[in-house]
Amino acid sequence: MVTKIDKTLDCKGLSCPMPMMKLAKTMKGMNSGEVLEMLGTDPGTKSDIPGWCEKSGNTLLEQNDLEGGVNRFVLKKK
Amino acid sequence: MAEELNNDNRILSELFRTFFAKHWPVWIGGIILGMLNILLFMIKSPWGGSGGYNNWGENVYQAAGFLGLENVTPTNTSLYGMLNILIILGAFAGALFSKEFALRIPPVGELIKGFIGGGLMAIGATMGIGCTIGGFFSGIPALSGGAIFLTIGLFLGTLVALKYLFWEMENFPGFSTGKSRTLLAASEKTGGWQIWLGWIVIIVVFVMAYNYFGNGNAVMSWFVIIGLLMGLICQRSRFCIVASFRDPFMTGKSSSTVGVITGLLIGLIGFTIIKLFGVGAGDTALRAREMTWVFPHFWLRAPIGGFIFGLGMTIAGGCAVGALWRFGEGQVKLWAAVLGFLLISPISKKFIVPEFVDLLPHSLRYKNFMPDYIGYTWSVVIVLAILFIWYLFVKWNERTGKFSTY
Repeated sequence: MVTKIDKTLDCKGLSCPMPMMKLAKTMKGMNSGEVLEMLGTDPGTKSDIPGWCEKSGNTLLEQNDLEGGVNRFVLKKK
Repeated sequence: MAEELNNDNRILSELFRTFFAKHWPVWIGGIILGMLNILLFMIKSPWGGSGGYNNWGENVYQAAGFLGLENVTPTNTSLYGMLNILIILGAFAGALFSKEFALRIPPVGELIKGFIGGGLMAIGATMGIGCTIGGFFSGIPALSGGAIFLTIGLFLGTLVALKYLFWEMENFPGFSTGKSRTLLAASEKTGGWQIWLGWIVIIVVFVMAYNYFGNGNAVMSWFVIIGLLMGLICQRSRFCIVASFRDPFMTGKSSSTVGVITGLLIGLIGFTIIKLFGVGAGDTALRAREMTWVFPHFWLRAPIGGFIFGLGMTIAGGCAVGALWRFGEGQVKLWAAVLGFLLISPISKKFIVPEFVDLLPHSLRYKNFMPDYIGYTWSVVIVLAILFIWYLFVKWNERTGKFSTY
C-alpha cells in the first residue's frame, strides 16, 4: 500500500537546526491525519525526527534512504 | 576453515556495526569526551577550540602578508591548531565509516549565515576569552568563576539568535530555500570507497602521530591521537553544544543537554583532582596548575564575549567544535563558518579586543579561581548544584513543553 502524501517539504542541503524548525512549522500548519513527506540530507535528522515524533505525538510512518544521500521521512500529523 | 573465517568476519563486522551503524547516545559521547579532556589536561592543558582557529587565521594572514603578522607559530607545531585539524579528520573518518559523508551544499543564504556566524564566534571568543570549549566545557570544570558568567552570556546569545532564526523563517523563508546540491553520497549498496578512505585517514593520522613521537614531541603525538578520537566521537554521538543550549527552547529535546552535562561532570572530577594534587605539573608550580584555564574575564568581560559567541554559534548551527566536526562530515554551511571564524579571529584580536579591553576597568576582567574565595569543596558543590538544576530543568521542560516552541 502506498501512503497518500498531502505535502512535501524539501530540506535538502540544509544543516541543523533549519530542517527541524521547518518540519515543526510545516506540521503545525497541517490538519490532523494529514501526511507530510520530508526530504533532507543532514545526518542529524535521522535521530532527531524519530525522537521528535515520539515527543510530539506525531507518527513516523516511513523512514528510508533515497539515492544521492537523501533521507526521506513520512510523518502523519497527530 | 572457510567457515571459521566467515565467523571471524562476522564478529568483526558486528563490532564495526556497533560503532558505525547508528548514532551513539549523546551522553556516551559526553563521558568519553570528558575523559579525553582530562587526558589532555594531564599531558599538557585542557581542550580549547578558538585558539586553534586563531592560529590558522594568523598563518593565513602571515602568508598573505596582511596585518603585519610575524613569527606566527606554524600550525604543524601549534598544539591547538593541530587539535582542530585532527577533529575535522576524526569526524571525516567517522562519517566515512558510517557512510554518512557527502558534500552538502546549501542555498547561498545559508552559506552567508555560516560565514557571519563564524565571524561572530571569532569576535565573541576573542572578546570573552574562550569559546564553548575552552571557556565553557573546560572552563567550568576548571572552577573558573568567569566561566559561569561566560555560560550566562552564551545562553542569552543563543536565545536571541534562536528568536532571530524563527523570525527569518517566518519573514524571509527564501533565505533558507533555493538550489542545493549533494555530492559524493553513499547508499546502502554503493559507496564502499568511503569505508576504505576512512581506513586511509586513520593510517595517515597514526603515521603523523608516530612521526611527532619520533621527533621527540610526545605531547603533540598524543594531541593528534586524542584529536582524532574527539572528532570521531563528536560525529558519531552528534555532540553539539549549540543544541544543548538551544533544543530545550526549540523542540524541547533534552538529550544534547544531558550529554554536555555528563561531559562537564566527568571533567569536573578529573580537573579538580589534577588541580588539587598538581597532577602533571612537572617543573611548573602547583599554583600555575591551579590557574590553568582560569582566564582574566571575570566577571563582565566573559558574558559580553559569550553573548556574541552565542549569537554566532546559533546562526552558524555549530560552535567552535560543532563547526569542525560538521566540516568533516561534509556540511558546507559549516565550511563557511570555519572560514569566517579563522579569517575574523586575528582581525578581532588586533583591532577590536584592545579597544574593548581599554573600556573595562580591571575589576571587570580579572582571573577568578573559585577555590581562592570559597575553597575547593564549595566550588565543586556549587558547580554540581548548577549542573543538577540545569538537568532537572531540561527534563521537566521536555515533559511539560513549558519553554519549548514546538
